[in-house]
Amino acid sequence: MTGISKRFGEVQALDSVDLSVESGTLHALVGENGAGKSTLMKVLYGALQPDSGEVQVEGQRVDIKSSAQAIALGIGMVSQHYGIIPELSCLQNLILGAEGGPVIQLAAARDRAQELAAKMGFSFDWDSDAADLTPAGAQKLEILKLLWRNSRIMILDEPTAMLSPLDGEALFASLRQLVDGGSTVILVTHRLPEVFDYCQEVTVLRGGKLVATKSVTSTNPAELAELIIGKRLEPAESHAETPGDVIFEASELSVKGYRGDLALKSINLKIRSGEVVGIAGVDGSGQRELLHAIAGTVGFVGGSAKLFGRDLTEISAQQRLDAGLRIIPEDRLGEGVIEEWSLVENCALGLQRQFPFSRSGIVLEGDRRTAAGVIADRFQTKRGSLDEPIASLSGGNQQRFVAGRALFGKPRLILAFQPARGLDLAATREVYEAIREKCREGAAALVVSYDLDELLDYCDRIVVLNRGVLSEPGAGNERNPEVIGRLMVGAE
Amino acid sequence: MKRWMQILLLAALGIGLVIAAIVASGSNPMDALSGMLKGSLGTPNAISGTLKETTPLLLAGIAVFLALKAGLFNIGVEGQFTVGACACSVVAIKLPGIVGMLLGILAGIAMGALWAYPAGWIRAYRGGHEVITTIMLNNIAGFLTIALVSGPIKDPSQEGTTTQNIADSSFFPRVADQGPWTVSAALVIGILGAIALGYWLKKAVRGYELRAVGANPTAAAMAGIDAKKIIVRAMVSSGAIGGFAGAIQVLAFEHRFYGNFSPGYGFDALGVALLSGSSAVGLIPSAFLFGILAKGGTAIQVFGVPKGITTVILGVLIVIAAAVRYRKFKAVES
Repeated sequence: MTGISKRFGEVQALDSVDLSVESGTLHALVGENGAGKSTLMKVLYGALQPDSGEVQVEGQRVDIKSSAQAIALGIGMVSQHYGIIPELSCLQNLILGAEGGPVIQLAAARDRAQELAAKMGFSFDWDSDAADLTPAGAQKLEILKLLWRNSRIMILDEPTAMLSPLDGEALFASLRQLVDGGSTVILVTHRLPEVFDYCQEVTVLRGGKLVATKSVTSTNPAELAELIIGKRLEPAESHAETPGDVIFEASELSVKGYRGDLALKSINLKIRSGEVVGIAGVDGSGQRELLHAIAGTVGFVGGSAKLFGRDLTEISAQQRLDAGLRIIPEDRLGEGVIEEWSLVENCALGLQRQFPFSRSGIVLEGDRRTAAGVIADRFQTKRGSLDEPIASLSGGNQQRFVAGRALFGKPRLILAFQPARGLDLAATREVYEAIREKCREGAAALVVSYDLDELLDYCDRIVVLNRGVLSEPGAGNERNPEVIGRLMVGAE
Repeated sequence: MKRWMQILLLAALGIGLVIAAIVASGSNPMDALSGMLKGSLGTPNAISGTLKETTPLLLAGIAVFLALKAGLFNIGVEGQFTVGACACSVVAIKLPGIVGMLLGILAGIAMGALWAYPAGWIRAYRGGHEVITTIMLNNIAGFLTIALVSGPIKDPSQEGTTTQNIADSSFFPRVADQGPWTVSAALVIGILGAIALGYWLKKAVRGYELRAVGANPTAAAMAGIDAKKIIVRAMVSSGAIGGFAGAIQVLAFEHRFYGNFSPGYGFDALGVALLSGSSAVGLIPSAFLFGILAKGGTAIQVFGVPKGITTVILGVLIVIAAAVRYRKFKAVES
């Protein structure tokens, strides 16, 4: 792939990126969230069309217009979220979309499936429901799906994200075998140990640009982490005033993830009034579960936590909000607003039981409308009438509105999941400064971002989540991007 | 093709279908239409009959509408209506007078609520879809009440599956009762109920929370709302209103309970709620329209037009309403 560029609206997701992968190798593609890895792979898989650049497969220039065409060229992709339909049997899943004719030849399919599985050393109960597969089994089935479609170039996006370490090792053993058999594997990953243990070459992307392609033997984890995160000026020391009372405290807190495994493993965290605490970490390290546990939408399975001095188990989600918890959720459309509702109705969501939105169970329509105006104008939301549905705003403006709502009134703890998502630099600065302002007035904030620069710029303290384990950079390294970067990718 | 053109086309197709059906039955469409209007609105008697049909449709429509606002499709109003009517008749037959009437209403509400509870609980805590569970509960309600009225609560002096009549002293009061004009107070309750529900949904924090659960349960949970609890409550309240409608049907109109009691009010109520334009007050004209079709449908049979034609008209109206309703504004992420 040469000179691949792709722009989404204001964002240059890929800026003239080159990637060349030798056949018969395991090639790692690494970078932070938003570095452009997935976009690049989607271009290769035909799911996205690049604005410019060209793709060559086995020396031939190709113009991949669709995934079907990519598959025909022998390119296959296993995305992070498996495409397995739980209600179908393993065999049905395997052949889905590549049945080879209008009539399904189950017996023949079974023979070929058995042959492919045997070659890989996998075993499947072909007739059992795919719902019964373990994550590792589902991953194996996904790989077989690629083989079924005769893929020679396989893209695996974060294949070990859902696997236990042991299953991860087994996966790489199978990939090794495929590579030895002449296949080419491109591995998109955040985990440096995988790169060093199993890959031959590694390409680093940062901010949509190619940083380097190196042979694994000629680099080391520390150098790679630095390439991923980038050289940064050591930012100024923490600009916090002396932190005050403890607002939130977790001790040995464990939370189950949505897949049933532990997403947070015995974490200890203390947040004091006046502090902006940033959580660094790659996507899916347990940030989501931590915020949901504090918000009260998921329970926890071990340890304990206190919010505003009260045990979390004693206070309902509603009570937490009424006591001053504010949330800028991760998925603003799914969790933050109700699309078809007006700005006026949306401004009260989460605050609906508090003044000035209601009193004694009755909505105060006049006061609510005034508040909606204040919330919308807090970050200059570009909008029509307050009575128009919030779906009429652009994503960035919805984000401004949601951020404005979380900062309305007297918050005591602000949970902000990528508060500047979809905002330009000026607006990002404005939102973070507003959060800091509230913290100077005595609130505290817990901020999740995948952008370490953002956290270094605006947070007083940074903690790192990696695979559900919380760690701190340690004395002297509180704001050392290299140390934090290594913790994020598990290189330390 | 522009959306409004699609809708216009749909409407034209629908009207064409209705006319074709009438012509196929060997009648003049204009005669059928005027016959339907005359039979439902032409005389005081006809209007009284239309209003009588409107009453259960409106009450059951309120039940469907409330559940719909919480994101629940309560197909079970038919069954809740039936068990409510059955329970009310049993109480009112045993206890004559105003006490029997009031306790009969309470029994109807309680049975309706009880009949909806499992569907609400299963939906909230086990993820079983309420459409399936309420359809099953409808079947149970239908056969169970037929069994009861064939044996334990049957009037022994009658051939058919029916209870005794309730005492005149337990009849639900009328607001108009002069010559051909008869209007039950239940209609007034229905109208006030629809207005009150609209007001509650808009002005009460609990109404706001219920709508939030219906529109986006995940966002509602982030806003501190216990969506599961609200789902159960909304289903139970919807069932209670359905049971109330059944009780009223006994006390105000039928004065007894019998096998296959509901001619499908609970199902028509789904149409009433869908045609209300997602406004509680809109339930009133919507129920009235259904009342006209129900009464007028009977009237046009003298022209040789099958009564079923009104069902065709309703079907067409609902499809058009659904097409308009889902013509929702969607923003493009920019």
